[in-house]
Amino acid sequence: MAGIVGVLAFDKVWNVSKFLYYALIGLQHRGYSSSGVVLLNGEFYKHREDKSPEDMRLNGEGWAGIGYTGKERAYPLVYEDVAVVVDGILKNPEALRRLPKDPEKTLSELEGAFSLVALTREGQMIAYRDESGLKPLTLGGFGFDMAIVASENVAINVIGGEARREISPGEMIIVDKYYIDSKRLKEPRRNYCAIDYVYQSRIDGKINERDIYALRVRIGEQLAKERPIQGDTVIGVPDTALPFAVGYSRATGIPIDLGFTRTGSPIRTMLAQDSFLKVVGVQLKLNVVKSAVFGKRVILIDDSMVTGLTLKNTVMSLRRAGAKEVHVLIGSPKLVSHCPYGVDVPKSSDLIAANLSDEEIAKVIGANSIYWLSLKGLYEVIGINTICVGCMVGRYPKVM
Amino acid sequence: MKVLLIGDGARENSLAFSIAKSGRYQLYAFSSYVNPGIKENVDKTNGKYFVGDILSKDEVKRVISQVSPDFGVIGPEDPLFNGAADAFREEGIPVVGPSSKASTIEKSKVWMRNLMWKYNIPGRLRYRAFNNLADAAKFVEEYGGSIAIKPSEQVGGKGVKVVADIQAYLSQEKRRAASRSVDEIGRLVKDEVKIIIEEKVDGPEYTLHVLTDGRSFLPLPLAQDYKHAYQDGIGPETGGMGSISGPGYTLPFIDEDEYKATFEIVKQTAEAIKKETGDEYVGFISGQMMLTELWGPTVIEFYSRLGDPEASAIVPRITSDFGEILELAATGKLNKAKLEVDPRPSIVRAIAPLGYPLNRDLAKGKEISLDLPKMKEIGCQAFFGAISLYGGKLITTGSRALELVAIDDTYEGAVKKLDLCTSLVSSNTKLIYRTDIGRTIEEQVEKAEIVRYSYKDRIKRGVLGASMDWSPNGGLW
Repeated sequence: MAGIVGVLAFDKVWNVSKFLYYALIGLQHRGYSSSGVVLLNGEFYKHREDKSPEDMRLNGEGWAGIGYTGKERAYPLVYEDVAVVVDGILKNPEALRRLPKDPEKTLSELEGAFSLVALTREGQMIAYRDESGLKPLTLGGFGFDMAIVASENVAINVIGGEARREISPGEMIIVDKYYIDSKRLKEPRRNYCAIDYVYQSRIDGKINERDIYALRVRIGEQLAKERPIQGDTVIGVPDTALPFAVGYSRATGIPIDLGFTRTGSPIRTMLAQDSFLKVVGVQLKLNVVKSAVFGKRVILIDDSMVTGLTLKNTVMSLRRAGAKEVHVLIGSPKLVSHCPYGVDVPKSSDLIAANLSDEEIAKVIGANSIYWLSLKGLYEVIGINTICVGCMVGRYPKVM
Repeated sequence: MKVLLIGDGARENSLAFSIAKSGRYQLYAFSSYVNPGIKENVDKTNGKYFVGDILSKDEVKRVISQVSPDFGVIGPEDPLFNGAADAFREEGIPVVGPSSKASTIEKSKVWMRNLMWKYNIPGRLRYRAFNNLADAAKFVEEYGGSIAIKPSEQVGGKGVKVVADIQAYLSQEKRRAASRSVDEIGRLVKDEVKIIIEEKVDGPEYTLHVLTDGRSFLPLPLAQDYKHAYQDGIGPETGGMGSISGPGYTLPFIDEDEYKATFEIVKQTAEAIKKETGDEYVGFISGQMMLTELWGPTVIEFYSRLGDPEASAIVPRITSDFGEILELAATGKLNKAKLEVDPRPSIVRAIAPLGYPLNRDLAKGKEISLDLPKMKEIGCQAFFGAISLYGGKLITTGSRALELVAIDDTYEGAVKKLDLCTSLVSSNTKLIYRTDIGRTIEEQVEKAEIVRYSYKDRIKRGVLGASMDWSPNGGLW
């Protein structure tokens, strides 16, 4: 999981380094343990740190640049004539050396599932989203001054630019000072990542042909249809599960409450590397609001369940604050299989839903009941039947 | 009857086409190079083509005396600024085109804004004028809000514009780039007032062209111009890479009331110009508008002529005799004009050689060829812009070379025709054009709806057009 961005100014009076910096902050929910940029000012200038974009100390200058935030320390790649950032899995990155000479052929020969943004030493920005469409990529501009490519439109918005459109699966974009070309290199397959819809993307995003907030509210409504529960309050786990709670509350008429508040900056529990951090993360992150849950039958909604550890803590803290019952709803179908495309879904043996029955899971996490959004419901809400649900069914659209 | 047309671009080509189509006129033209499209219409009507310096009032007079036309039509703004229309009137010949004084409405942005405030014309924006760049830069520093920085008068044909849309955390970068550009822009301006800074507004843009003889006003169908050089509305500012018009008199994202309000603004402005200069305004006056949350219809700038490439979208839709309408405007009988318009929408796609607009030298001197008969078969019309007939070849002169126009029942249909016709143009350089024009109607409808919520709310609250900024040192603006 990663966020990538590229910015090219048509006039060299601009220094784009701060634009990259803030765009990356707008993408750090996609992964943040390593971040870096490459700036072009005649020569490539590379800067990378084992930190989130926010904490990066960026000094370089350039009229064009690319940036990366994610868990791979290898990015940005810098070769002699080209620098590249990748979201996803690219199996033959060495081929990228030939990108400036023959972009079309090189991109067609890349193997994996990915989106990328490259910057050539000559000053062209090349963006490509592979035909699966597993990784998002959006094209935008800033006034008459810059072209911008980013994983999500929100990164373009935070720097004051305007997102124009999503790059289609299989489409290549070349941004030159004197022209912008786009070409479909492969037939799009629209295997959009279900995880991007369900919790990866920001709610102010428009990703994979859908408005994320509206879609997640509809998931909440779908949950209400599939699993109506007698409860007194609906509580979403911040931040990603809040729209589910809004939808569930809207559909059932059960009031919504803010059951948790956050301590410290938003660290994505699922992205934390070891389990100790996860426990500390969740405790630091979420403090229960007692008056919201005391004496109530709580319908708790979360976005996903991996090992169940996070949820166990969450349920426990609700009970300690006086919840009478805790019914857990998950806004995505069960995660039962790994992701070969770089999303942090562990292998089956580490996934609670792949190993235990619903009753067992409810007991482990201490909930009165547990329910996952059905696969059918997910398809219904998203409305695109080619999406990738590999981690939910163990069958994958693209062989790696 | 003899008509003398001044100008050399695609807009003049479209005017030449409609004058020749009338069948009542012999077309004479005066251009700075031989535009093959204008030439075709001159030849067809047994007129004569003159080439020379159209920016020189004396040269224009010389051509007038050779042709002794019954009336004249002036296409571009620069000859108007230099008194081309005055040259006609001094010889007692009626002409479509305002006097040099009246064309100040386009030439000077400060004069224009000042006029709008003085006469309380709706759709006006707050502005500040600066004689020196240091003061302008200081003002930019002081008022953090979103502003547009423009040269106080037209420089080099295009209105260079920098917008400082200031996100707090990016303000340094944006201001630094803005102040560097202020220097660049300001150096080119000859007037005492160098820079004008306006409050920045947002929303969908459109143009209303109004033809007037000073007494009657004839509004044309709306058009929308696309300024970004490259596909998807990205890239540097150009004179316009294409335009759309229709269906009917409005656009899908501008409603009837907004059309009427815009017409009222343009009319009031023409009347104010007359009061201010003493000159009857005869010719086109065109509001380059934006639908904003502040006013609804808001003036970004005025043209003292037809827009280019807007003209190429509008003129082919006119089914009545446009040549005659021009004559009636020139001779003060516009109230007799009958304008009939094809209700179907049109799209213009401009085609430019690689290098436009950032490197004109790169864009110059390239060869272009096109299959006109086949285009006609498909249903496209081609107007020639910055392209000169030289030794039997079509040679680019550095700007937008061609404008292709298609009319169809729907925008989708017109776009498809243009896609086919674009493939019939070839060159020894890469060609730059936008295939997204006419394909973004829905987004613009939504954009318009968003600003409409706000400006209608302003009407309800009685604060339409009211806005101000404050800074600790500068006070209220």
